[in-house]
Amino acid sequence: MDVVIIDGLSYALPLLCIAIGGIYSERSGVTNLALEGLLGAGAFIGALFVAFFGGYFPTGSLPLMFIAMACAMVGGALYAMLHGLLCVKFRANQVISGVVINILAMAITVFLTRQINSTLFKSSDKIQLGVSPRFDVPWLSKIPIIGAVFKSVYPFEVIIVAVVAIMWYILYRTRFGMRLRACGDNPHAVDSAGLSVQRTRFAAVMISGALTGLGGISFAYSISANFSSSIYTGAGYLAIAALIFGNWKIIPTVGACLLFGLARSGGYRLANVLALPSSFSDLIMILPYVLTLLVLIFFSGTNRAPRALGEIYDKGKR
Amino acid sequence: MAEQEYIAEMRHITKRFPGVVANNDISLSIRKGEIFALLGENGAGKSTLMSILFGLYEPDEGELIIRGKPVRISSPSHAAKLSIGMVHQHFRLVENFTVTENIVLGLEPTRRLLGLLPYVDLKTANREIAELSRRYGLEVEPTAVIEEIGVSMRQRVEILKMLYRGAEILIFDEPTAMLAPQEIEYLLKILLSLREGGKTIILISHKLAEIKQVADRCAILNRGKLVGLFDVADTSTQQMASVMVGRELAPEEPPPPMEFGAEVLRVDKLNVLNIDKFPVVKDVSFGVRAGEIFAIAGVDGNGQVEVADAIAGLAKLHSGTITLAGTDITGASIRERTELGLAFVPEDRQSTGLVLDFALDRNLALRRYYKLPINVRGVLNNRAISDDAVGLIEQYDIRAGRGGATQVRSMSGGNQQKAIVAREIETGAGLMIFVQPTRGLDIGATRAIHRHILDQRALGKAILLISLELDEVMALADTVGVMYGGEMTRIAPLSDLSYDEIGAYMMGVGNSAEVTE
Repeated sequence: MDVVIIDGLSYALPLLCIAIGGIYSERSGVTNLALEGLLGAGAFIGALFVAFFGGYFPTGSLPLMFIAMACAMVGGALYAMLHGLLCVKFRANQVISGVVINILAMAITVFLTRQINSTLFKSSDKIQLGVSPRFDVPWLSKIPIIGAVFKSVYPFEVIIVAVVAIMWYILYRTRFGMRLRACGDNPHAVDSAGLSVQRTRFAAVMISGALTGLGGISFAYSISANFSSSIYTGAGYLAIAALIFGNWKIIPTVGACLLFGLARSGGYRLANVLALPSSFSDLIMILPYVLTLLVLIFFSGTNRAPRALGEIYDKGKR
Repeated sequence: MAEQEYIAEMRHITKRFPGVVANNDISLSIRKGEIFALLGENGAGKSTLMSILFGLYEPDEGELIIRGKPVRISSPSHAAKLSIGMVHQHFRLVENFTVTENIVLGLEPTRRLLGLLPYVDLKTANREIAELSRRYGLEVEPTAVIEEIGVSMRQRVEILKMLYRGAEILIFDEPTAMLAPQEIEYLLKILLSLREGGKTIILISHKLAEIKQVADRCAILNRGKLVGLFDVADTSTQQMASVMVGRELAPEEPPPPMEFGAEVLRVDKLNVLNIDKFPVVKDVSFGVRAGEIFAIAGVDGNGQVEVADAIAGLAKLHSGTITLAGTDITGASIRERTELGLAFVPEDRQSTGLVLDFALDRNLALRRYYKLPINVRGVLNNRAISDDAVGLIEQYDIRAGRGGATQVRSMSGGNQQKAIVAREIETGAGLMIFVQPTRGLDIGATRAIHRHILDQRALGKAILLISLELDEVMALADTVGVMYGGEMTRIAPLSDLSYDEIGAYMMGVGNSAEVTE
């Protein structure tokens, strides 16, 4: 049972971070299918820092990991600018932009990873990161059952919980968040209040990239333990499903991500208990996606997307 | 500086758009603290002129003088700095925000949590808005979410948005177009209280009665030119109307008496539920005979539109029966209803009546696209479509810049409506349903639509008219049914009813025991 909770959380929290990135973009009115690409691009920049400067740090160094995370956020934000430019400045179709950005991210990061590794380090096609160290929270981890939440915690999980709290506060309590949400509902109202719709949306897309990058590097430091093409497992798409299931609101999205994370770890546990051959574990891996399908079937009817989502804002048009 | 007599002056304003002079050398001076009405038919240039004052357009020639100083107003936010505000015809509100959040957007009061984290102080904002709304008698619920409130309160939110920004010159673009009779009364009271509060109001309208009721002065535009400037107190509405349309306007004649024929439509114990399974039409029964105009009067949202939708096949009915020309059409498809002779002019011409991005000729063909000669074995005959359109455009006086090829979106509301009416009349149906056929139209277009309705009556068609304008009901109806709270509380020949009596039933204070047919 403990394993299910521990693994579930370590998957659910990065997923949540990515989903909240998606919420920021979409609540401002910019459809963001680019999450998968953004998480890869962000994680790649973080991994790149480790590849070049990791040698100066002791193995398993926490500061190195934190710097890598910061790099991943910057990298994600910069790469998201591309989506912002296309969608906000050049008024491109947001769905096409998102899909193209995903394909581009995958191609470029995998290609560069190979090139850098073969020319500089003469090694495999992966940037080795290792698995982040874990820790137990004293006292709390001793509580039966619930204590598992505080057992074998990755440091990034703590960071993500803090980030989520901050992002919630910004979206629902501050001026910026209020204006961002207004842009996603009726940009004309924002414009007539003398505010720039474009600037707000652009900022939202960049924030989206930063959060997604953070989620991406967290996966790289836990599940895959390296940066390679194996980072692209569809978590970006799953995050989109989670935020839609969460009705574009942060708190329900937390629930959706926990559900997906626990479904995934529970599936693995099930495969273990049943002692299934390893080829079956692939089948178990699709569990969260099957769950996504079911969830979408049952809940889509009651969901309401931001009113101006995907709508290109044109001042002159009424 | 001495108090200026004129708060805003427009001198020799000219604005050209490709192919049209929207404003031609217009000079107007607006006094501080007056209600100044700007009157004119659609396309006369009222909105363009006010858009220039509001900074949406820059004039090609002429100058603007605000509080004695010449200015160039480059944008709406520049206009806001000069304390000029505008309530647009289409509201600009964030639907999932509260009233307060909408009003303060852009000027949110903030505080710091623990002296550190800034946040929007909605508590203070709610208090400020409640205070502001009390001061001008603009009743709003500060914490209500926009999507849950009606048009009238939304409009008050727009007005409060301007006041919150300290606007002194308030421009209203056709503010009563979407409102029910008592809501209009309420708005007019608000305008008067704003004037009392020292605000200057510019009212764009083509409803003469309202102007007569509240305005101090009135300027009339026709085809881009200023054609008259009156003190409203000394001028009759008849005078204003004839200056506005540029010719003598005879009062509308009452329809001649008709011998009614057989019953064409029969609605029996109709019940309709809305999305939330709440009954919106309750046990409504009535009939419409050939040659009769049956008008349903009522304040918006009392089930009239749902009755029309149920008859037309747009809304599912819960129980009851509908009979058209002797055939039970309760469960019939829309195509079957069309074939049996039902024509429908819907409430919302832009979303239900027309395909805005299609050309006019295509829109005119929408009812017959599956029939010869327009459809030849599954292929559309473009020649037939455009030839047909030429005839209809001529016959119904539809004004469209590029004839049948004009995109409908670019046409004026009046001409869009004429196109729908033309298309529906051409079906030759025995029953015609008109839902708010003249909503938002000017006098000229309204008269044209009324004439078409009366012509159809003279041809012996059964006509069901649903209107929020009591004047329209009084001008056209043979029989009136009043709806209140989803029930038809009174059915009687128009000759048995007075204006006040219908008004009382519309507000639910009539005696509902008198339902007779």
